[in-house]
Amino acid sequence: MNTAEGKKYWNPIIETLPREKLQEVELKRFRELLRWAKDQSPFYKRKLHGIEPEDIRTMEDVAKVPMTEKDELRTAQEGKEPYLYGDLLAVSPERLSTFHQTSGTTGKPVYFPDTYESWQWCVEVWCYILHAAGFRPQDRVFIPFAYNVYIAFWQGHYAAEKLGCEVVPGGALDTQGRIQKIGEVKATALMNTPTYGLHMAEVAKEMGIDPTRDLNIKRMISAGEPMPEPTRLRLEELWGADVYDHIGGTEPGGWAGMCSEKRGMHVIEPHYLFEMVDLETMSKPIPPGTKGVAVITPLCRRCIPLIRFNLKDMMMVMDEPCPCGRTSIRVDQIGGRVDDLRKIRGVFFTPAVVEEVIRGKFPEVVEFETHLTQEEVMPVLSLKVELDSSIGESQSREIKNRIREGLKIRTNLTFEIELVKPGSLPRYMLKSTRFKDFTKKS
Amino acid sequence: MEYDLNAMDMEIGAIEERAKRLKELGTGIEAIERNADAILAFVYLLKKSVSDIIE
Repeated sequence: MNTAEGKKYWNPIIETLPREKLQEVELKRFRELLRWAKDQSPFYKRKLHGIEPEDIRTMEDVAKVPMTEKDELRTAQEGKEPYLYGDLLAVSPERLSTFHQTSGTTGKPVYFPDTYESWQWCVEVWCYILHAAGFRPQDRVFIPFAYNVYIAFWQGHYAAEKLGCEVVPGGALDTQGRIQKIGEVKATALMNTPTYGLHMAEVAKEMGIDPTRDLNIKRMISAGEPMPEPTRLRLEELWGADVYDHIGGTEPGGWAGMCSEKRGMHVIEPHYLFEMVDLETMSKPIPPGTKGVAVITPLCRRCIPLIRFNLKDMMMVMDEPCPCGRTSIRVDQIGGRVDDLRKIRGVFFTPAVVEEVIRGKFPEVVEFETHLTQEEVMPVLSLKVELDSSIGESQSREIKNRIREGLKIRTNLTFEIELVKPGSLPRYMLKSTRFKDFTKKS
Repeated sequence: MEYDLNAMDMEIGAIEERAKRLKELGTGIEAIERNADAILAFVYLLKKSVSDIIE
């Protein structure tokens, strides 16, 4: 392979493999993983009882294997030995070398360890993601976070190192300090949450720094939360950089990333087996171009095997081949999480739509928060909106009306809009919680 | 341009054998055992990147 083509992909052997071959490798790995899980993990020994790995020959066969739900992982760990990981662990505890956990947004956290080998695999899959996003050895990458027990930025840090980038960890600084450091070291790339990327740009502006003019950031990769397209475009505008998204989580690791085409995200095949099931039955496979729920199997992470993990994220598989030449499945993250889906006055509503409207049409909005409450029997949607401090009163009123109209057109629902003082809404660094459902019984 | 995947696979296999042998020879020496294990972790990745594809 010539050098230029070699540099286009992290692994041209795999990334341009014909689809039939990719699927063949994935099915083989799926069988191996089933065998491993049945033999080594008490949880899967029970769950996969009666399933013979050798019988799994097609994607239809794969669909017969039971899905793994997050609640099952919690139950399998709680109060069981070995401490923390319980029945999920498929290696001896002495082999563990890395600890991560889920954020606990939807319940008790799930603990996810790795052996040295499985951690290196997690790092490897992120190399595909960073390379597709244009990260190269000449980059100096700034990561403005204390990574804590969450996986994404650890994966990103080690993968950037492996790619040959120089990594600057910016965890112990405040936002102003981080912006100064980015300028001081002339960082060329950022790993960020979309929310914090917006906030950093806001703080930079207050400091008299225009990131597009005064900083040297050429590319940014997003982690930690979904990034609707309008938010991605807003970040590109604010930073003057190419902004890329990726999809990942503690349980599966980072499993899809955006290429230079910036249209959808490539599943890191054949390291992952990706499936889509329909929203109604949560089991029936659906064709490309249809909205459904994503199901993922990390095929080579043997420490805690994860078979057909129900991500509960709504997505769509893109049908047409990608001009970048990668042959892997491309997915588009649309509609947010199944857990956030609500039926309000007969209309399906997902909070992700609010972000699409706000970030897409209202650059004057600095921060916002959606509330769902109940008045007698009627659900009420309200939106707290924080505008840029430079906006005058009459313009604010006009924007408020336009937001109400924009949301009505997009969602078919009427929102109560409340303008709040600049700086009064919370700013998030990692996972943002801009949707608050007060109708939920605690 | 074509890659010689079989030749790569042979080399990966050879590295694996040698790392295992090294680990055996260094049994009881943490610095040898752990570093040999690290080599084997990367051999696992190489097998997933090359060897699995040609089987």
